[in-house]
Amino acid sequence: MILIENVEKTFGTAKVLRNINLQVKPGEVLTILGSSGSGKSTLIRCLNGLEKLTDGKITVDGHDVSTRQGLAAARKRSATVFQLFNLYPHKTVLQNITLAPVEVLKHDKRAAEARAQELLELVGLGDFAAAWPQSLSGGQRQRVGICRALAMEPSYLLLDEVTSSLDPEMTGEVLDILAELAKAGTTMIFVTHEVEFARQISDRIVFLEQGELLVDMDVETFFAADGGMAVPRIAQFLSRMKKDGVQ
Amino acid sequence: MRYSDFTPYDLILLLNGLGVSLGLFLATTIIGVFLAVMFTLVSYYRIPVLTQVVVALTEMLKNSPVLVQLFLVFFGAPAFFHVNMTPVAAATLTISLNTAAFAYVIMRSAIASVDVEQIAAAEVFGHSRWQILTLIISPQAAAFAIGPLVGLMINQLQVTSLISVIGVMDLTKIGNILNLRTLQPFIVWTAIGALYYVTAKILASVGGRVEKNLRRSVVWGGI
Amino acid sequence: MNRLWRMLEPYSGFILDGFLLTLLACICAIIGAVCIGAAIASLRTSQNRVARGVAFAYADIFRNVPFIVQLFFFFYGLPELGIYIGAFETGVIALSFSGGAFVSDVIRSGILSIDQGIIEAAKVSGLSRYKIFTKIVLPIAMRTSVRPIGSVLINLILTSSILSTITLNELTGSAKIVASTTFRPFEVYAMLLVLYASLTYALSAAISAVHRRLNRSMEIGA
Repeated sequence: MILIENVEKTFGTAKVLRNINLQVKPGEVLTILGSSGSGKSTLIRCLNGLEKLTDGKITVDGHDVSTRQGLAAARKRSATVFQLFNLYPHKTVLQNITLAPVEVLKHDKRAAEARAQELLELVGLGDFAAAWPQSLSGGQRQRVGICRALAMEPSYLLLDEVTSSLDPEMTGEVLDILAELAKAGTTMIFVTHEVEFARQISDRIVFLEQGELLVDMDVETFFAADGGMAVPRIAQFLSRMKKDGVQ
Repeated sequence: MRYSDFTPYDLILLLNGLGVSLGLFLATTIIGVFLAVMFTLVSYYRIPVLTQVVVALTEMLKNSPVLVQLFLVFFGAPAFFHVNMTPVAAATLTISLNTAAFAYVIMRSAIASVDVEQIAAAEVFGHSRWQILTLIISPQAAAFAIGPLVGLMINQLQVTSLISVIGVMDLTKIGNILNLRTLQPFIVWTAIGALYYVTAKILASVGGRVEKNLRRSVVWGGI
Repeated sequence: MNRLWRMLEPYSGFILDGFLLTLLACICAIIGAVCIGAAIASLRTSQNRVARGVAFAYADIFRNVPFIVQLFFFFYGLPELGIYIGAFETGVIALSFSGGAFVSDVIRSGILSIDQGIIEAAKVSGLSRYKIFTKIVLPIAMRTSVRPIGSVLINLILTSSILSTITLNELTGSAKIVASTTFRPFEVYAMLLVLYASLTYALSAAISAVHRRLNRSMEIGA
């Protein structure tokens, strides 16, 4: 269980997150929606410790991420997939996936490689184990990024705008995999622009506006006319997303 | 010589040595930069034969040790060309040529950094090669080149220490003398090193200020 | 030309010995310089302010003091501390410290130019700071640093000629002896010049080849 309590984050003079309170239960699929600059990415970066909180507390399965041991324990339980993939350029696809399990979880190298190969088969990249990241397309790189995250057997999967750098065709192949993961019961926290996708696979939706948590509802209520749609800002956001054809 | 302690007179020795080093440094820098400008003009105008000579000479000077160049000039030239060569003359000639070789490369790449379309535009307006060089290329190239040139000068200051090997009474040679006499290598060589260090830092800060002034006076309207 | 060769030929073995000594000294020195340079670069980029200051001071001093002064400092100073080592070892030590300062600058830029996102991915996967540095940062920085380190090596070869001033019979030292024995300093030193220049050219080509090989993975359509 991830507990986010009264979290505030300030960059210089700008308050990017205000009084965020949120819970994520195991097995849930949570999507964080909001326009650019609303603080969505910052929130996820606070969860995996890339940003330090100005105020408030975040605990992952009871571990406080603001302490060194707490953060280390939290990072063992979660894995992140990034918008810009961030694959290690000097390592092959297989090595990218096995690095953390071997070094952090102390898995046996052969076992880790076998598991990595399985994951690659799952995402349709079984033949690419010896390839270098630079020779892959964006969609392929992101799929490797997903394998790298899954290899850590995380309790929580954090996905920070993972399709925002991909063209529609590649976006589709990545979303298909994520949908399967969601169906299989993985706890996932998405930050995304893909509203239709969020509607299909989320259990809950949270809407951020200028750093504030506007609503926190289950998915049906969010898209219902008397639920989320009743909030003017949300209705405006959703209609603009539809108009820009981001569906 | 008797082994002795340091005397106040040693300070005068040090200053003498420093003066010789600085004097030679300034002379070779001026001559070297002047020669580099000549070399650059030769390349700019693509004078046949001479351009190839310049390129071959500068490549040789850049890719061989300065110490060997010094030996060649000080020991070799008198034997081969039957001329008399004092240590100071040999040192000046060698270091000037060495500085010229590196400065030439810096100037050439500074000129190449000037947008080629400006030159094309100037040609179309009928400017001569000389006008293009002086009115358009040089001001901008100078601003590009000043940074690397200051770096080169700081490096050449270190290089002057090698003239002690052919007998010039520069700062390093004084260090040798003091070292042999007092047998206090740590004090002597730290003092010598400190003097070179401080001189280099002064040079760097003066150079930095010149660069800032030069950049300010060349106003690029952001075009 | 023939006459020149006939005159120098009996000394060619001696010159070759000097050449090999230069090569050996430079290989040892570049290894030393890379080790020192990597260590200093890691200090330069650390969180600790004292470490950063010390590393900066080291590089600053060794870059602004002439090499011959550094060499004499070690050559005459070490015996005072009771350390009695030969001219070769002293020369290698001095070259390593001097080269290390330049290498540390190169590796530091390599470290600073690494995409931050890659470091973030390593951090969130739970890798310790030490592991991130040794398994991610340093390998990537070294691959991009090959060319500049190569030019430090070339500089090292030219600087090694100064070792002749502490009685080491490397290439320049041997040439000096031949020059005074044959009374033909001009020919000998001219040939020496050509020899050094050829050596540096050959090395430049080799370094380019190594750079291409190490970076083949990182340059395809990135």
